[in-house]
Amino acid sequence: MTFSEFTVKGQVVTDKSSALSWLLSHSRRHIWSVIGLIIPSFANAALAAWVPILIGAAFDVFVRSQPKPNYEHLLWATTMVVITQIGRAVGILMRNISAEIIGQRMERDTREELYVSLIGKSMTFHDMYAVGDVMARATNDVREINLMFNPGLNLVVGSASFLIMPALFAFYIHVELTIVPLAFLVLYVIALWQYLAELRPISERVRRTFGDLNAHLVEVIDGVETVKGAAQEEAETKRFLERARDYRDAFVNQGFVEARFLPLLLMGLANAFGFWHAVTLFRSGVISFGNVVAFMGLLSLFGFPVFTSLFSYSQVALGLAGARRILELITGETKLDENIEGHDSTVKGYVSFENVSFGYTSEGNVLKNISFSASPGQTIALVGQTGSGKSTLVKLINRIYDVQNGSVIVDGIDVRDWNLSSLRKQISIIEQDLFLFSRTIGENIAFGFPGANQVQIETAARAAQAHDFIMDFQNGYKTTIGERGAKLSGGQRQRLALARAFLTNPSILILDDSTSAIDSATEDQIQSAIREASKGRTTFLITHRLSQIRWADLIVVLKQGEVTDVGDHDYLMENSLAYKRIFSHYIGEQDLPERGN
Amino acid sequence: MTSVFGGLATDSYDRHYSDSDLVRRIWAYVQPYKVRLATVVISLILLSLISAAFPVLIAQGIDHIAAGGGQAVLIRLIAIIMTIGVAVWVLNYIRFRGFNTLIGDVVLEMRSNAFEAAVFHDLAFYDEHISGKIISRVTSDTHEFGQTMRLVGDILNQMAVMFVLLFVLFRIEWRLACLQLVLSPLLFYLVKGWRKIARRVTRQGARAMANVNSAIQEAITGISVAKNFRQEGSIYGEFSAVNAESYRINFRRGLVLSTVFPVLHGLVGIGVALMLYAGGRAAGIGLISAGAWYLFVSTVDRFWFPVMQLAAFWSQFQSGLAAAERVFALIDAEPMVFQTANSGSTLMPGDITFEKVDFHYNKNEQVLNDFNLQILAGQSVALVGHTGAGKSSLVKLLARFYEFQSGTIYIGGRDVRTFDLQEYRRQIGIVSQSPFLFSGSLADNIRYACPGATDSDILEVAHSIGDGEWLHALPEGIQTDVGERGSRLSLGQRQLVALNRVLLQDPILFLLDEATASVDPFTESQIQEALDLIVKNRTSILIAHRLSTVRSADLIIVMRQGEIIERGNHRELMESSGHYADLYDTYFRHQSLEYIESIGIG
Repeated sequence: MTFSEFTVKGQVVTDKSSALSWLLSHSRRHIWSVIGLIIPSFANAALAAWVPILIGAAFDVFVRSQPKPNYEHLLWATTMVVITQIGRAVGILMRNISAEIIGQRMERDTREELYVSLIGKSMTFHDMYAVGDVMARATNDVREINLMFNPGLNLVVGSASFLIMPALFAFYIHVELTIVPLAFLVLYVIALWQYLAELRPISERVRRTFGDLNAHLVEVIDGVETVKGAAQEEAETKRFLERARDYRDAFVNQGFVEARFLPLLLMGLANAFGFWHAVTLFRSGVISFGNVVAFMGLLSLFGFPVFTSLFSYSQVALGLAGARRILELITGETKLDENIEGHDSTVKGYVSFENVSFGYTSEGNVLKNISFSASPGQTIALVGQTGSGKSTLVKLINRIYDVQNGSVIVDGIDVRDWNLSSLRKQISIIEQDLFLFSRTIGENIAFGFPGANQVQIETAARAAQAHDFIMDFQNGYKTTIGERGAKLSGGQRQRLALARAFLTNPSILILDDSTSAIDSATEDQIQSAIREASKGRTTFLITHRLSQIRWADLIVVLKQGEVTDVGDHDYLMENSLAYKRIFSHYIGEQDLPERGN
Repeated sequence: MTSVFGGLATDSYDRHYSDSDLVRRIWAYVQPYKVRLATVVISLILLSLISAAFPVLIAQGIDHIAAGGGQAVLIRLIAIIMTIGVAVWVLNYIRFRGFNTLIGDVVLEMRSNAFEAAVFHDLAFYDEHISGKIISRVTSDTHEFGQTMRLVGDILNQMAVMFVLLFVLFRIEWRLACLQLVLSPLLFYLVKGWRKIARRVTRQGARAMANVNSAIQEAITGISVAKNFRQEGSIYGEFSAVNAESYRINFRRGLVLSTVFPVLHGLVGIGVALMLYAGGRAAGIGLISAGAWYLFVSTVDRFWFPVMQLAAFWSQFQSGLAAAERVFALIDAEPMVFQTANSGSTLMPGDITFEKVDFHYNKNEQVLNDFNLQILAGQSVALVGHTGAGKSSLVKLLARFYEFQSGTIYIGGRDVRTFDLQEYRRQIGIVSQSPFLFSGSLADNIRYACPGATDSDILEVAHSIGDGEWLHALPEGIQTDVGERGSRLSLGQRQLVALNRVLLQDPILFLLDEATASVDPFTESQIQEALDLIVKNRTSILIAHRLSTVRSADLIIVMRQGEIIERGNHRELMESSGHYADLYDTYFRHQSLEYIESIGIG
């Protein structure tokens, strides 16, 4: 049983034991399209193989009826060729459409499954993967699955039928004639297998070296000012050249392998031996003249698999690799669940940490033996260097992460015993990385409280000191945020996030505040918004603002995951050296004159 | 030549190369590999000759057995056919391998030239042009050019086989040969027209895909917000709608793309039928032999593939040339910073003088106008003023990132334009607002300007700040991997690394554009320490955003619209109640202890 923080009703259950069975369990739903792919493929190949037979027959009739040729039969054969070819066109069209249906549906369904599974994963999981990596899997890899079916498997099935048909039709002419097509079939499979095995590590190297080349290039161009400032242009050019040469070597090497494509040689030999064999049989009177012509036509059908196989097999391989990467995400472990039976009531705001330890990975704890407690309505400032564990600490309160040792207790109840929805809805976290959705400003404020009316939204915005700047936009609350919409400064984004929190009216507010005001007027507004927000609720502040630290009810000083000091400003100025050091730059400033009169 | 696909919009440095110039430029890259090219061409010609010979020989064999010919001739024929089978493979091997290597070498050379040009272009160039486009010229455009070379090679190969065969067919019976070609124009225009439709539906499909991608991106980056508010359902609904929409549009696209091959196959089938019938009639009246009839019927499909390729070729060929053109334009873009001399002598400490300097980024906006300033050797100068006052332009001119239009800048009495640019910049330490770190270790980043420095040199420098306490927060000290663009370090730590870089470099002149972003108070105090250390020993020009930096400078220069309006130290300027006092009230007031003490009481 896997846990999930989010589920959708009526979701399709798939077999996730391996990439192949996962794909199969998806494609089983499109079984008619699969049949619609396979049957026309073989029908197409059979019709294609029929043409040489018809031509051979035409030759036979022609030779036999000399010197007064039988044009009636010729016309009949010609008509049959036209009919079979039109039949083929229909067959290929059906094959293509079926493959397209499967491919597109697979893309849609696997993406849907991946998406639902992603938003149901815990933050522990999301932290493990970079956004870019997850994006690549949800977009490129899902697309690869589509391409794997069309054109990948479409051509694999199509060319497989072309590999088999010559032998079958040769059997129809004469059993002995199957020797060359069958020998070709066997040798072809072996040669292709060996070729693909040889090519795989080399194309991997091509991809990797190109990735390195590109990564270096992007970095240098982004940091070009630094490169110039340090006069390192020549050194970087040398470094680039090394990578470009690595890529060139890999590229050239790939060419060596590709040039040695053995199936091409096999085809040439099959034609030669086939001709020899057919002629020998003809001369011993076993087969007719037209049979020789027909057989040579059958052998030329091998051209299709020989020339398309490369492309189609690598497409399938890419699709399988993509499926594997997607499945890795879907089956990735997530430890939290919704805990629907858990405790559900109004949060008062007592928070205590009892001997809490936590680490993102099994080795190395980010937090060690944290203990302190806060009462309803208090403001708690968390201070410490980056990496001291402040941001992690607050995320244990609303169970974005679960502790490894000890417990986090809200209103006397361990957070793990709370109903997840109830707990999270009453605790607001405003993160350092302020994220706004590309919707309107109004919708963003109402994000946590979808039913809110305009009056409620505006009240919240006013309390967060955001109303004025929102009204400065041409469309006010209807302004869309994002690339083509409004661009907001850090301070503005923060106040929108605060407005969100005002609207949901949480009992506990957690504010990871690293925005800096460039000017004092903005600073005034931010300060007042935060002061307003902290009223009447337990507020945790991760802040760089000395004024907030100075006036917090409780200051928790963290250093490398441990609490070094707890107390208020006056206590810490007396007892904590580290804390005193923060303010040392300001000592002696007071005697400076303010603005002259 | 302009790109048919228009994938990349043109940039102002793009230029038009005449076809002959373009050919000459490309030939210059191929020319060193003349011998290899000749081998490739010879094998290509041989390859097309024997490829075309194969069906002809089979046809001869058929004639021979139809006439009941002898064993000896047949054996010789089979031996030749077998030899051809092997020779095709061998020649193809030589051709493919040689040409592929040639492409690899040409692309390598082009790419290195493009990179070198890009990295030596001055910053004005980077201001004007989006870096993503510059990057794509170095990698994608060179790659595309290589692909086009390959395409040309393949097309030539197929065309050669086609022409040899055509020659043979015309020799046998010209009327039938004409009939063989009858379908070609139809195929050609069919493919051309189809490509147009395909391009349109593909564009629509890509647009729908982009919507899906941005929905996913938003969900993944905003996942924690959605979780905090338990709004997973709402973002799911949004995604589900665009996903279904993309399916609809892309499915339609797929249907359009599915049609072309069936139609082509049908047409080729009709071509075969045509040849079967006409050939049979011709053979019937003795115009051609049975073998020739076979030859005409069996070679129908050797004509349609090249014709189809040819229909798509021209636009791909043009876009390949356009790619080469873009690469050349990048290489040829004119530099804007000019040194009048390249004197080897290095920069010596001395006064800095701006004399009647005029400067603008573009002609409509004059930044500095008849600007004069003298900074004494060893002095630390803080520049303050609103955005657009010209503070950073001043610093960038000193770094020679941009060229000024008139006047002179002297350092130690020498015109800055007379130094060797690389040597000159080695003597200047620059820290920008958001310091850039390269992926790699912390140590490598600190030694970036002095590649020869040892780990112990770096440790010494790192420990000169707060006893190296800042290193404790890093998992592996100076060996810590900083991640892409230094993403694994905090903003404050990145600033510390940049300051350490300067400390190690020990330059004569220090230029700082102070960061405005806030940093945790512990790191902040270490940054202050590092700054004090750097400023102490050298001439420093600081674009100050921190109150403490302004207050500690020897001289504050207040700028407005490219002019100096006040100068002095903090106390003098505050007392005079001028522009500085206004700036203080706007930017620095909230950084004062008084503000900190007062805020909680309100």
